[in-house]
Amino acid sequence: MERAKKKVKARDVVLFALTAFLGLLFIYPVFFALISAFKSNGDILKNPVALPTSLYVQNFKDLFAQSEFAGAIVNTVFMTVVSEAFIILIVPLAAYGIERRKSRVTSFIYTFFLAGMMIPFHLYMFPLFREMKLFHIFGNMAGPIVCAVSGAVSFGCLLYCSFLKGIPIEIEEAAMIDGCTPFQTFWKVTFPLLGPCTGSMIILNGLSIWNDYLMPYLVLPSGKPKTITVEIAAFVGQYSARWDIVFAGTIISIVPALVIFCAFQKYFVKGVTAGAAKG
Amino acid sequence: MGNRAKKFDKTAFCFIAPAFILFTLFVIVPTVASVYYSFTSWDGISDNVKFIGLANYREIFTSARFGNALKNTAILTVFISTFENLVALIFALMVDNVRWGKNFFRSAFYIPVLISGIVAGFIWKIMYNYNFGTFNALLQGVGLGDFKQDWLGNTALTLIMIGLVLIWKGAGYYMIIYLASLQSVPVELIEAAEIDGATAWQRFKSITVPLISGAFTINFTLSLIKGLKIFDEINVMTDGGPGFTSETLVYLLYKVGFNEGRQGFGTAVGIMLLFIIIILNTIQQKFLRSREVQM
Repeated sequence: MERAKKKVKARDVVLFALTAFLGLLFIYPVFFALISAFKSNGDILKNPVALPTSLYVQNFKDLFAQSEFAGAIVNTVFMTVVSEAFIILIVPLAAYGIERRKSRVTSFIYTFFLAGMMIPFHLYMFPLFREMKLFHIFGNMAGPIVCAVSGAVSFGCLLYCSFLKGIPIEIEEAAMIDGCTPFQTFWKVTFPLLGPCTGSMIILNGLSIWNDYLMPYLVLPSGKPKTITVEIAAFVGQYSARWDIVFAGTIISIVPALVIFCAFQKYFVKGVTAGAAKG
Repeated sequence: MGNRAKKFDKTAFCFIAPAFILFTLFVIVPTVASVYYSFTSWDGISDNVKFIGLANYREIFTSARFGNALKNTAILTVFISTFENLVALIFALMVDNVRWGKNFFRSAFYIPVLISGIVAGFIWKIMYNYNFGTFNALLQGVGLGDFKQDWLGNTALTLIMIGLVLIWKGAGYYMIIYLASLQSVPVELIEAAEIDGATAWQRFKSITVPLISGAFTINFTLSLIKGLKIFDEINVMTDGGPGFTSETLVYLLYKVGFNEGRQGFGTAVGIMLLFIIIILNTIQQKFLRSREVQM
């Protein structure tokens, strides 16, 4: 409020202009993808900078006609939603056990979980695939889901544990005295209080599952639709001459993430900063 | 009371069990297995796993290909981390100080973070294209047609061009962390220095920088570790080429494991990568702890 009363200085205008310029420069590649998705291949090649002249949707029609993109969308949504559901069922519960019942064993488990953040996925992926075959989760949707949930434990426990520290234990004690079992106490009393943390968790994990490439590419059976990113990567190889179609695919991949980001911005910020504060 | 605490304890372990089992089975077990595979000549698919002792590690220290991948990884990672942090800090300062549209600019700088590596790689690959790309079209348009380049094909530029994409895609993330850190700098301190006659640069250097150095350590380490793991963008843009110009450690381990059927060697490369990450993490912890003592 105080700021609004201040007089506008030349410095403010210069800074604004500079920020606006850099901001536009930064969004340009996304904008470029957007305009190209609505241009014919010939127009993209002729002048990459020009705006589309009409609402040209042939690219999207071709995309769905010439590929299994519809199936890929269904798969991606399914994979993201189911993984998220399991993550939210399993991870906060574990963090609660670690944070609320401190002992040498639980603090060891915490360190053990955090150590997982250092291990690069690429190191263990092939041994993992071999193991997945033993469990019969290689070559079907269960594979990427199980691995996404397992992979989310490390960062998730970090986030939830640091958040749980700020929630007073007295509320839980009161619920226990009133006769709640520990399980009820967690789901009915503590979990609702963890809402913002769960929001960050869903959003950050959702983004990485939605955008994941290598796992679905290598694990899902070939000859059937895989996920959006895998289809896009495949187009880049196959239809290297049909950029228009690929751009239509990239827009379908970007838009949901963008919409969710705009709707839940504050959870993004919270998740990123909370993760960094302890990471 | 004692009885209930004991019961709660048992429950606590039931709470932890599902996550513990999944994490152990699908992260730790394959990691430990990969330590074993690094001493074998496993091809990545068959059940034929032959123990060959230290041969893979001997090859790592003698082969030029590993040296090349290590060099590429070092160049790419240092380049990305340095500029990602520089750009992120500048953006954070701009967003923090800009008078209008704070939220809008924060989002604008963050949007590239939302895009998958594959999609980002594709968009930039087209923009870099020699004949039909945006970069060359712009250069042509402003009369600098002589500077037209095959941006990804020119081996002197390939790594830098890939690095640019990653800086674009990553800076917004670190900006958020810097921004949070900047907003925790007490305004009174800055105002006091202003009254004492400190210039803007002096205030930044002597007050802001020391107070955000924790964020700097964290961001730098995070971006180094992320830089070491780059895969998707290289996969779409260059596939490690031209030749081996953009083959990083992760890419080398993927290629020898997946395309060349030498998973044993690939895993040994991965173990080296894990060592590098552990060392970087230890240094970061030391840095952070020594600063805590100071404050």
